[in-house]
Amino acid sequence: MIKRVWLNFKKYSFLLKQLVARDFKIKYKRSVLGVLWSVLYPVLMMIVMSIVFSNVFKFTTEGVSYLAYLLSGLVMFNYFSEATNLSMSSVVGNFSLLNKIYIPKYIFPLSKCLVTAINFALTLIPLYVVIIIESFSYPDMKLSLLHLVLPYDYICLFMFTLGVGLILSAVTVFVRDMLYIYGIIVLIWTYLTPIMYDITIISNPILQSLMKLNPLYLYINFARQIILHGWMPTPAYFAACGGSALIVLLIGMAVFKMNQDKFIYYV
Amino acid sequence: MIKVDNISMRFNLGIEKNFSMKQFVVDLFSPSKRKEKKKKKVNNEFWALKNVSFEVKRGEVMGFVGTNGAGKSTLLKIVAGVMKPTEGKVSVGGNICPMIELGAGFDSELTARENVFLNGAVMGYSRDFLQSKYDEIVDFAELADFMEVPVKNFSSGMIARLAFSIATIVEPEILIVDEILSVGDAAFQKKSEAKMRSMISGGTTVLYVSHSAASIKALCDRVVWIDHGHVKMIGDAKDVCNEYLRSLGLPVEGEGNGA
Repeated sequence: MIKRVWLNFKKYSFLLKQLVARDFKIKYKRSVLGVLWSVLYPVLMMIVMSIVFSNVFKFTTEGVSYLAYLLSGLVMFNYFSEATNLSMSSVVGNFSLLNKIYIPKYIFPLSKCLVTAINFALTLIPLYVVIIIESFSYPDMKLSLLHLVLPYDYICLFMFTLGVGLILSAVTVFVRDMLYIYGIIVLIWTYLTPIMYDITIISNPILQSLMKLNPLYLYINFARQIILHGWMPTPAYFAACGGSALIVLLIGMAVFKMNQDKFIYYV
Repeated sequence: MIKVDNISMRFNLGIEKNFSMKQFVVDLFSPSKRKEKKKKKVNNEFWALKNVSFEVKRGEVMGFVGTNGAGKSTLLKIVAGVMKPTEGKVSVGGNICPMIELGAGFDSELTARENVFLNGAVMGYSRDFLQSKYDEIVDFAELADFMEVPVKNFSSGMIARLAFSIATIVEPEILIVDEILSVGDAAFQKKSEAKMRSMISGGTTVLYVSHSAASIKALCDRVVWIDHGHVKMIGDAKDVCNEYLRSLGLPVEGEGNGA
């Protein structure tokens, strides 16, 4: 069974590459700045948000750079929100293909999560520029070997995102309303995840510990411990990140697998 | 080579309507209608295929005839693995190249060259294979001057030519052909038909659907006649085609040509 799935995956890995390459080529087609937008977009977002939140609402983060705090959370959350949104419509959007020819269906959400991951890698460039600039005023932020632990965190984020993407893409086939509902869910999720504020401003302790159950908070906080403070996250933190990502990915795979044969009737 | 064992395929025609809030509210206020609908839901089931069985041997060219909506395309989609049958089993021994729809997976923003690789990948070909066959594909499509042009600027005939060339470049063990011989202009049609014939005579197992009894008789060894989802007749190509034409009230070649 596993061998069969693996052989099938190998056969279609070329298709996966082609789909990722296509999406990447088309994304910035006809835009003047092209791929530069991947870098520019989070920076502009960061500038706007830091003006709004640190000047208007007077949000501060004690002892750490607010810009780096904001951007480190923003790039990760943006990855999640963009990848899940693209995954959600990926199966529905490729019905004309699925209806005609056999292709493993998971390849569509997977390719969307991968192409967004390339984009994510590009957004790390402005993040490191900010880290280096800010490290002159915040000595905790120095670049160290600790940063080599970060890919673990990013892989957890990828697995979690893929799991959610698989669930969304399957659900959307049956209930197209999801395309609209999910926009609202992401909005709520944006505000419930401490991206622009520090979690300590939530005074209610029960609410605060509930918010810590949010896997995205786990992944973002993992990265921030390393980037902002130069701390090594505890082994428990490693386990929480890996475990939550794995569980959500497995649930996503199960949901997708159980429903994929029914997709064709809901064209 | 291919064994179709007693398969049935059920579609639920009302599936789209059963899931809207508006309908739900409307039904809420008219209980009698709701009951009626429940009954109707059962009637909405449509068996596109019912207890279809046949076998195709290696190297055999099997034709499929039947009126529109008889279930031919559904049957081929099941054999190709696009759909799973509601009941029954299909076993296929060999790699399949479905030509059910040409150009599935073309992206109009990409150039013709990029689309050769994308479309080839969709059909399950590897990169090395496509690279080695690239020139052959371009030659056959006669589009050498246009390979760096985005496909959105192509005419539909050009797209069809490119798609046909990609689809037929492989020598699959099983080929599924659903009325695609008529692509492109007259000259290309002739060329594509010759290509099809050479593939068919090359020992490939072929499942061939067409409304043209003449081409079925010319190409196929045996024919399955499908009528309203049932197999009406299986047998020698000529016999089945003649019987099929007779049922439609059409003149059969070689008899009753008194006039």
